[in-house]
Amino acid sequence: MSWITSSAQPYFRKDSLGFYSDTLFVTANKSERQIKNISVPISIINGKNIIQSGNTRLSDVLREQTGITLTSGFGAGVQLQGLNPDYTIILIDGEPLIGRTAGVLDLNRIAVGNIKKIEIVKGPSSSLYGSEAMAGVINIITDKKSNDALNTSIRYGSYKTFDGNISLTKKWNKVKIQSFYNNYSTDGFSVRPNSNNRFITPITRSTFTQNIQYNITNKTSIDGSFRYNKENIKSIIAVANNGTTIYSNGNEANNDLNGTFVINHQFNDKIKTKLNTYFTQHESKQDLLTVSGNPYNDLFQQNFKRVEDQTEWKINKSLNSIVGFGWITEKVNSTRYDNVDSAKNNAIKYFYNQWEWNAGKKLVANIGFRYDDNKNYASALSPKASFLYKWNSQLRFKLSVGRGFKAPDFRQLYLNFTNAAAGSYSVFGAVEAQKVINKLNQLGQIGNLFSNYYQLKKLEPEYATGIHLSAEWEPNQSNEIQVQLFRNDINNLIDVQQVGNYISGSQIYSYLNIKNAYTTGLEIETKQKYNSDWSSSLGYQFLVTGDKDQIAKIKTGIVYTKNTDGTSRLLKLSDYVGLPNTSKHRFQAKLNYENQEGFYANIRAIYRSKWAVANTNGNEVYDNGDQFGKGYITLNFSTGRQFKNGWALQAGIDNINNHIDGMNLPNLAGRTYYMILKYSIQNKK
Amino acid sequence: MKKTVTYILFIATFTFLLASCSKSTTTVVAPLSATTVKDLPADTIIGITAQGQPYGAGKYTFYSLEKNTIIANSDSATTKWDLAFNGTKILTNGGTSGMGLGGAFVQVGLFDDLKTISTDSVFKTDNAPASYAVTYGSGKGWYTYDPINNLITPLAGRVLVIRTASGKYAKVEVIAYYKGGATLATTATDAEKMSKQRYYTFRYIFQPNGTKVF
Repeated sequence: MSWITSSAQPYFRKDSLGFYSDTLFVTANKSERQIKNISVPISIINGKNIIQSGNTRLSDVLREQTGITLTSGFGAGVQLQGLNPDYTIILIDGEPLIGRTAGVLDLNRIAVGNIKKIEIVKGPSSSLYGSEAMAGVINIITDKKSNDALNTSIRYGSYKTFDGNISLTKKWNKVKIQSFYNNYSTDGFSVRPNSNNRFITPITRSTFTQNIQYNITNKTSIDGSFRYNKENIKSIIAVANNGTTIYSNGNEANNDLNGTFVINHQFNDKIKTKLNTYFTQHESKQDLLTVSGNPYNDLFQQNFKRVEDQTEWKINKSLNSIVGFGWITEKVNSTRYDNVDSAKNNAIKYFYNQWEWNAGKKLVANIGFRYDDNKNYASALSPKASFLYKWNSQLRFKLSVGRGFKAPDFRQLYLNFTNAAAGSYSVFGAVEAQKVINKLNQLGQIGNLFSNYYQLKKLEPEYATGIHLSAEWEPNQSNEIQVQLFRNDINNLIDVQQVGNYISGSQIYSYLNIKNAYTTGLEIETKQKYNSDWSSSLGYQFLVTGDKDQIAKIKTGIVYTKNTDGTSRLLKLSDYVGLPNTSKHRFQAKLNYENQEGFYANIRAIYRSKWAVANTNGNEVYDNGDQFGKGYITLNFSTGRQFKNGWALQAGIDNINNHIDGMNLPNLAGRTYYMILKYSIQNKK
Repeated sequence: MKKTVTYILFIATFTFLLASCSKSTTTVVAPLSATTVKDLPADTIIGITAQGQPYGAGKYTFYSLEKNTIIANSDSATTKWDLAFNGTKILTNGGTSGMGLGGAFVQVGLFDDLKTISTDSVFKTDNAPASYAVTYGSGKGWYTYDPINNLITPLAGRVLVIRTASGKYAKVEVIAYYKGGATLATTATDAEKMSKQRYYTFRYIFQPNGTKVF
C-alpha cells in the first residue's frame, strides 16, 4: 500500500453539471436510485460546490439554494417552499436529527467539513419518513471515503472565527474506520448596537464523528456510526425593559449525541434487508446570572430511540417493493415543563410500503404509504404517489402528490416557559396554557387576554397535502433548466400566538391549530456551461402564502386597516401579504470559474424580497400596514487554488455589500473575510 | 318558483312605496361633519421612575365633545366634560367616573359606515377599576401595544360610540396616540417614543339633536 498525494480529490474538477447524470440519489426511495429515475422533485448540492463556496455551516450552504429561506429566531432554521422550519426533517445519513427549539433545528450546529453531498426532496414525504417530513426532506450524506485518506483544513476569518477540520480514513481488508473532528469558534458579532438582545455571543462548537464499517461477507456488512456535537455559547445579554437595562451573564451548552448500528444483508439477487438501530440524545442547558444575582437555569433533554427494518424486494425487472417497519420511543425532560423530573413520553409504531414500477422506458411510478400509530395522538396515514415521464432523452416530467403530517410535539403541549432574561415573556403549551393562565389570573398577574385565548383547546396533528409538477429539460450538454410548480395545503397548522399580556405588558404565548393555510409557487433553476472553465447557475422562487381563514375574513369584509391619515378602511385582499416570514421573491445567481490548473473563483448573489415580521396594526392579519423586513441582496465571493502536492488555499468575502439588518436578520453578520488552508493525501489504490 | 318571485317583487315594491312615503315626511337635515382634535395631551411623560417606568403627573385631560374644548380639571365633578384622557385610558362621564349620563361601547366597523346607533346596542358605564365603558387594554378596546417596538397603535376599524354627559350621542375614531397626529415609525428613537406619546388625535361627530343618527 503506498501513500501518494492526490491532485484530484474525489469531488475536485469533477463535472457537477447534470440533473440527469448517473449520480445516485438515496433520499427519495430510501434506497439508492439513479437520479434520472427519481420521480419526485429533488435538488442535490454536491460536496465540491460546498467546498468551493467556503461555507462551513449547513445554514450557510442552504441559504444559497433555490426554494430555501433561512429563518432567524432560535438559530438558523430552514423554510422550505414557504413552510416553517418545523416541517422539514433534517437527516444525517438518513437518520433524523432532534433537538429543536421552538420548532427550529439550528443549522449552525451542523459542520459541513465532511459532507459528500446534500440531497433535498421537496414535497410531503411522510410516506417514508413519518412526522415532520411535511415540506420535504434534507439529507446530509457524509463523505465515506473508499480509500485511506487524510484531510485537514483550517479556516480563519473576521470576528476571530476559527474553523478546523481533520478527517482520517483507514481501510483494511474488511474493516474501514473513519474519524472526523471539527472545531469552530467565534467571538461573535454585534449587528444591533442599540438592541435589547444579546450583542456579543462567543460560541465554540466541536463535532466528532466516528464510523466503523465491517464487511463480514460479500453479503453481510455491519456499519456503526457515532456522532457527538458540543456547543457552548457565552453571552452577555442586555435586556432593556422600559428604559432600564439589565445585564445577564449567560452560558448555554448544547450537546448532541447520535449513534447508529446497521446490519445489511443481501439474501439473494432479489431481496436485501437493513436492520437499523438508532439512538440520539439532545441536551440543552442554559444558565443565566443577572447582575441582581437571580440565577436562571434551563434544562432540556430529549431522547429518541428507534429500531427499524427495511426490506427491499426486486420482484422482477420492472417491479420493486420496499417494506419497512419500526418502533420509536421518545422521552423529554425539561425545566420548561411543569416539572423537570416528570418525563414526557411518546411511543410510535410504524409501517411503510412503497411500490416502484418501471413501465417500459418512459414511465416510472412510485406508490406508497406509511402508517404511524402514535401513543399520544391519533394515528396518521400518509399516502404518496409520484410519476416520472420521460418525453425524450432531453425532456422529462414529474408529478407527485402526497400527504405529510406532523404530530404536536412535546413543547406545543407541555411547555411552561418564562424568559426571565428577555422581558419576562411566557410561552405555555396547549395542555398547560389555560391551567396556568387561570392560576395567574387568580393571582392578579394577567393584564388582558386576547380572543384567541378562549379558542385554546387540545391540539390536533398538522396535515399537509402537496402537489408538485415539474419539468426538466436538458437541450444539450451545457444547459439545463428545471421548472417546478408547487402547492401545499396545510390543515390544523399549529402556530404560536400571543394570547394575552401580563399586567407588566409582557406577552403570553400559546399554541393553536390555525386551520387551513397554503403555500404555492414556482421554482426555476438553470445551469449553464459556457466553456471548459466558465459556468453559471440561476435560481428563482415565486411564493404566495396565506391563511385561508384570514382570507375568508377579508373577503367577508370584517378586517380593517389604517389609511395614511390614520382613519380606517376595509382591508383589501391586495393588501394581504400571507404568512409571516415568507418572501414573495427569492433569487440566486452564481458565476463560476475553474481552470485545469486547479484555480477557481465564484461569486454568488442571493436576493430575498420583503417579508412580514410583526403585526403592528393589530388587525390580526399580515398586510401592507405591518412591519416588514426590508428586501436585500448579499454577495459572496470565494477563490482558491488546489496544488498538485495536496495543499490547497482558499480565501473569500461573505456579504461583500455589508448588508446589516439587526432587527430582522440578527444572524447575518456584516462583511466577513476568511482564509482557508488545506492539506489532503489519499491512497489512490 | 314563479309565485315566489312575484311575491318578493310585490313586497319590494310595497316596501319601496312605504319608504318613499316616510321619506317625504322627514325634514331634511344638513349632514353632520366630523371634527378633528389634534394632539390632545393625555398626562404626558414628565419623568422616569428608578425602575424605568415612565410617568406623568397623574392628571386626566377632560374634553367636551359638545363644546369641542378642553374642560378645566377643577370642573371634573361636573357634567361639562364628556371624555377624559390619561395615557391609554379613556373615561366617560358616568358610572364611577362622573356624575353625567355618560357611557360608551367600542364598535368594530368604519367611522363613516356608522350612520345609526342600533337600538339594541348596550352602552356600558365606567366601573373602575374593574371595567371601563371604553374597554381598556391592548387589543381590547381602541389600541394595540407592540412590546417589541414599544409603540401604541390605534386599532383599525374601531369606533368609540359615546353617550355624552348630557345623554346625547357621538362617535369617535382615534387617529394617533403620538404628537403630530401619526403613529411613530418603529425606527423612532426611544427618546422620541417617550416624549411624543400620550397625545391624542381623534375625529368625532357629535349629534346635538339627541338622536342616534349621524
